[in-house]
Amino acid sequence: MLKKTLAAALLASVSLGAVAQAASIDPALPDYQPVSGVSGNLKSIGSDSLNNLMALWAEGYSAVYPNVKIEIEGKGSGTAPPALIAGTAQFGPMSRPMKSNEIDDFEKKYGYKPTPIRSAIDALAVFVHKDNPIECLTLQQLDAIFSKTRQGGLDQDITTWGDLGMTGEWASQPISMYGRNSASGTYGYFKEVALFNGDYKDSVKEQPGSSTVIQGIASDKYGIGYSGVGYKTADVRSVPLAAAPGEPCYDATDVNAVSGDYPIARFLYIYVNKNPNEALDPLRGEFIKYVYSKQGQEAVVKDGYFPVSHELANDDLKIFGLK
Amino acid sequence: MSISVEEKSLTGVPVPEVTAKPRKLRHYGTDLAASGEPFLWGLGGALALGILLILGFLTLIFWNGVTTFWPKPIKVVTLTDGSLVAGEPRRDDLYRVGAEVLVTLPEDVRAQIAAKDGYAHRVMYRIGNYDLYNEDFRWVPDFVVEKVETPRDFFFFERQEWGPFIGTIQKVTVNGQETDPAALGFAGITSEQERARERWRQIRKIERSDIGVINHEMEQIRLRLRRIELRQGADSPELHEARLQAEARMAVLQQDYARLAEQAAAIRAEDAKFSITLAEVGGREKEVPLSQIVRFYPANDMGLLQKAGVYFSRWGEFLGDEPREANTEGGILPAIFGTVVMTLLMVVIVAPFGVITALYLREYAKQGRLVSIVRISVNNLAGVPSIVYGVFGVGFFAYTVGGSIDAIFYPERLPSPTFGTGGILWSALTLALLTVPVVIVASEEALAAVPRSMREGSLACGASKWQTIKHVVLPHAMPGIMTGLILAMARGAGEVAPLMLVGVVKLAPELPIDGFFPYVHLERSFMHLGFHIFDVGFQSRNSEAGKPMVFVTTLLLLALIVMMNSSAIYIRNRLKKKFVNAHF
Repeated sequence: MLKKTLAAALLASVSLGAVAQAASIDPALPDYQPVSGVSGNLKSIGSDSLNNLMALWAEGYSAVYPNVKIEIEGKGSGTAPPALIAGTAQFGPMSRPMKSNEIDDFEKKYGYKPTPIRSAIDALAVFVHKDNPIECLTLQQLDAIFSKTRQGGLDQDITTWGDLGMTGEWASQPISMYGRNSASGTYGYFKEVALFNGDYKDSVKEQPGSSTVIQGIASDKYGIGYSGVGYKTADVRSVPLAAAPGEPCYDATDVNAVSGDYPIARFLYIYVNKNPNEALDPLRGEFIKYVYSKQGQEAVVKDGYFPVSHELANDDLKIFGLK
Repeated sequence: MSISVEEKSLTGVPVPEVTAKPRKLRHYGTDLAASGEPFLWGLGGALALGILLILGFLTLIFWNGVTTFWPKPIKVVTLTDGSLVAGEPRRDDLYRVGAEVLVTLPEDVRAQIAAKDGYAHRVMYRIGNYDLYNEDFRWVPDFVVEKVETPRDFFFFERQEWGPFIGTIQKVTVNGQETDPAALGFAGITSEQERARERWRQIRKIERSDIGVINHEMEQIRLRLRRIELRQGADSPELHEARLQAEARMAVLQQDYARLAEQAAAIRAEDAKFSITLAEVGGREKEVPLSQIVRFYPANDMGLLQKAGVYFSRWGEFLGDEPREANTEGGILPAIFGTVVMTLLMVVIVAPFGVITALYLREYAKQGRLVSIVRISVNNLAGVPSIVYGVFGVGFFAYTVGGSIDAIFYPERLPSPTFGTGGILWSALTLALLTVPVVIVASEEALAAVPRSMREGSLACGASKWQTIKHVVLPHAMPGIMTGLILAMARGAGEVAPLMLVGVVKLAPELPIDGFFPYVHLERSFMHLGFHIFDVGFQSRNSEAGKPMVFVTTLLLLALIVMMNSSAIYIRNRLKKKFVNAHF
């Protein structure tokens, strides 16, 4: 479903040229125009995939509004809904959409639903060690590597690199899996899309942060793991993925993520407590505008994620009454 | 030596006779357990091993921390396919070349690799230029290298944004005029860059301090109106009057704001005339405003003195500046400040609680079953995992106590919490709870060690019990109590897990103490060195770039704890001397 949303929302609107370097920003995005009298405290609690990005936005935003103080806490997407409900945070960054029970809990207290902004696009990448020559994986193979229930439909468990058709020294080596802890939205999203809602194997090494996953794989030649594409280092390599056996493989690039060809691309959300009957206060409203400005989306590229298009930004701004 | 004495006394036989009977001697000689010698060796060995481990650990941190900021040379590598790579070599290793790579290599290279059992050497370069390459580091295997050079015209630029740039200077634009960089020279460009940095600092000062004051007042006015609205009702005459006043004041403030913003814009327009065009090794160019260059140096064309200059200027920035680029660059001043303030606050809270409890338990309470139970409970408290304290802190202090404080004193700020969320006060209280058992136990021991004769002497002179405690017992126990506090401080400064729940955040550029009334803001979240290490090491986008920062920050945290401890020890020793002189 998300794949369709992404494709519909973005492909229709963006004309992305082939880019050989950092992802390019939609030139139609406006420069951020400061207004006067914005000050106060903001707090963001939620996803750790969005932690650095929130910090970059906060740096940029408080450079424009010197007296805005933004605090950032990122311990997993699961921490965002309780913080929004308790009112301890104004922004709840999440790397997955809110679950229905989380929305219900919110609605029970406030009488309306929380409103998400789709702040950036992430291609959830599957990483292996830099010396690993594997060329492509299908979602079904990923499922058989990471899941014990194998809802993807493969009838055989995959435990060694040989099971994936690799030869030589790799054939007999067991696959060592790295994943995220269950508070993470990345964990939930990977489970939903790559594991077809199955269960993780117990042998997956759960890590407290995306960067820890990368460091684990970097020091483990036979490792495999998943995290946001922005965390890639020189010690790991991202594997092209195919949605089903026989289909072409796609790299985790901005073009493939936006077109929907890359099978596990996702939006990175920021949830906001907005009363539909009241205007948003300027402090939060301007922050959202900042995120959807050229400067805001430059920060997205800087953090290794992919920027959103001008049209998508306008759609979201309209929901907030900011356009 | 003591063993031979033991032998004599145990056997009760004169020594010459023992030597005469070798069988008996062998009996005692073989009983290793009795002689105690191996035990001694074991103890010594354990001590040596312990010291070795600690020294190794400290050396590792010290060496990595101290060398991080030293400027490294830039290598330009020409690959066999003609492309160029420029960067600082960081690491190298041996690896087994994969079969799929071997196929693509020419015959002679394959033979070379085969001669080394299939292994090849490779080097990782920090290539920088993230905005152009979309990667910061790159591994280059030796077999694709044509030649490696260290050209003198390559510079290392540290930029305000996007991380480092490695390349050459193409042209410099000074005041809108294109200038030949060769004519300007390194010194000329440096002085232009310093002037540009000065403009940048001016803009920042206007935006932070001057406009900051205006914004602060505006926020106060908004809060006052809201307070009146909550107390008097939305249509009350008081609110109406206050609103009129506020509007007048707001108009003045808006004017001030516009004036300052104009000033900043003027400097900015001036600043836009100064830029520098850089070229990466492949020839692609990038124009950067001169004020965005934090520091730059010709990495391969520097004397020792120049290198030392860069080294210390980096330390200066690290210790005295705010973090930038999501904490991976810039300084860590807010984290140092947060750590020190939180630890001192914790000591201020824990000292009276711990000492009073110990005094009551030791001096006043009737020693019975109840006191034993209390004592056991206190000792057990020291064994509770620290994260449990964190959960208690956030549940009780932040949500319950803090929530009530907000509802009573800060209703105008709701729904944004003031005290109802993690903050430095709650963190200090949580850590105080965590360390209070240490202080109680140490203080009790110290009180118990005061000789009974002294108390009785004091009482016999007619002093009351409290006078005795105040003038005789406490002064003599003070050094011991201080030891307990030092231990508590060391534990508190290094603790991170509970703090993550009660107030430490990734980014809190506002210090808990500043120039706005009431100057000390105990409700604010803060940054902490321990958490900073965790954040940079395990949460930053580029873990490779974060690694050296982890070592530097660890070194700094260790230095800070050593400093706080040694000042406490200094105070303790002075106290010791003082009381020795005063009483005996």
